[in-house]
Amino acid sequence: MTTGDSYGARSGGRVVPAYAFTAGRTRSAGQSQDMPIEALVTATELAGRHSSSLDMEYRSIVELGCQPVSVVEIGAALRVPVGVARVLVSDLANAGYLKVHLPQSDDTDGRPGSEILGRLLDGLRAR
Amino acid sequence: MDFAPAEAGRGRRRRGGSQLATAPEPALIPLKVLVAGGFAVGKTTFVGSLSEIPPVTTEQEMTALSIGVDDTSAVPDKRTTTVAMDFGRITVDSSLILYLFGTPGQNRFWFMWDELARGAVGAVVLVDLRRVDDCFPAIDYFENRRLPFVLAVNQFPGTPEFADDAVREALVLPADTPVTRMDAREPRSSLTTLVALVEHALMRTPVG
Repeated sequence: MTTGDSYGARSGGRVVPAYAFTAGRTRSAGQSQDMPIEALVTATELAGRHSSSLDMEYRSIVELGCQPVSVVEIGAALRVPVGVARVLVSDLANAGYLKVHLPQSDDTDGRPGSEILGRLLDGLRAR
Repeated sequence: MDFAPAEAGRGRRRRGGSQLATAPEPALIPLKVLVAGGFAVGKTTFVGSLSEIPPVTTEQEMTALSIGVDDTSAVPDKRTTTVAMDFGRITVDSSLILYLFGTPGQNRFWFMWDELARGAVGAVVLVDLRRVDDCFPAIDYFENRRLPFVLAVNQFPGTPEFADDAVREALVLPADTPVTRMDAREPRSSLTTLVALVEHALMRTPVG
């Protein structure tokens, strides 16, 4: 399945208002594929001002993004497969409604570095 | 796309003039740990005992890409399929959020672990000592991917008593693989196992 297919099948076309897109900026299947399911999103200031004009599914995602929330949680909340949530999140990020926070790594395997692991360990031991 | 910087150690920088005045916030960083093991060994229970949200079962699609790079003999006619996957969440501090992913128990779905495993802190491999063979696929997978893991012996009633070394020997595990005895229903017990994993992962990570 391509991400374009899933998007079209669900929504029947673009539902983010056209003004939200700048010329030349399009959804990229490649970019959305790169977004891991644990990637976090937060709603932007733009979303606070203009989300009422969004289609309901997009608005739900923006509202979830008032607190840090992951792509996989969005999928579960909307009851859609994670792949569909990933495309919807990409749409909103491209339109400036969401900021995406990717995992951080300092090695090629993508694993978190020692500084982050140390913080994780401290946080878990404090529980 | 407005991605936050992905490099370690760099703070999140807001863009846009009106936002420049706000105080810098720590970068939000997602982390993940995989929870693997055989069927009905306690993966969902483990995730549930640690998660601050009720454990959620969601559908994960396998992408055409992951099918292309892995053995697809188990699903010869399908370009995509969806499998159920459990997840839970621990908000560690104001910027770190840890997700726990219970990997599908059915061995024929092992190839979808690649996407889950990429970038993971490590894995908890749950084992029921009454049927140790069930955890071999998970151990083989994480060893091949050099992903740190701990072996968590879920103490079911009637679990035979074996010394840690005997367990390692039976499962052909490296001597430094942590082995924990735990009860997946007990949050403190599950947390101890999770801490053991992060300690192990940290030891295997060069200081940088």
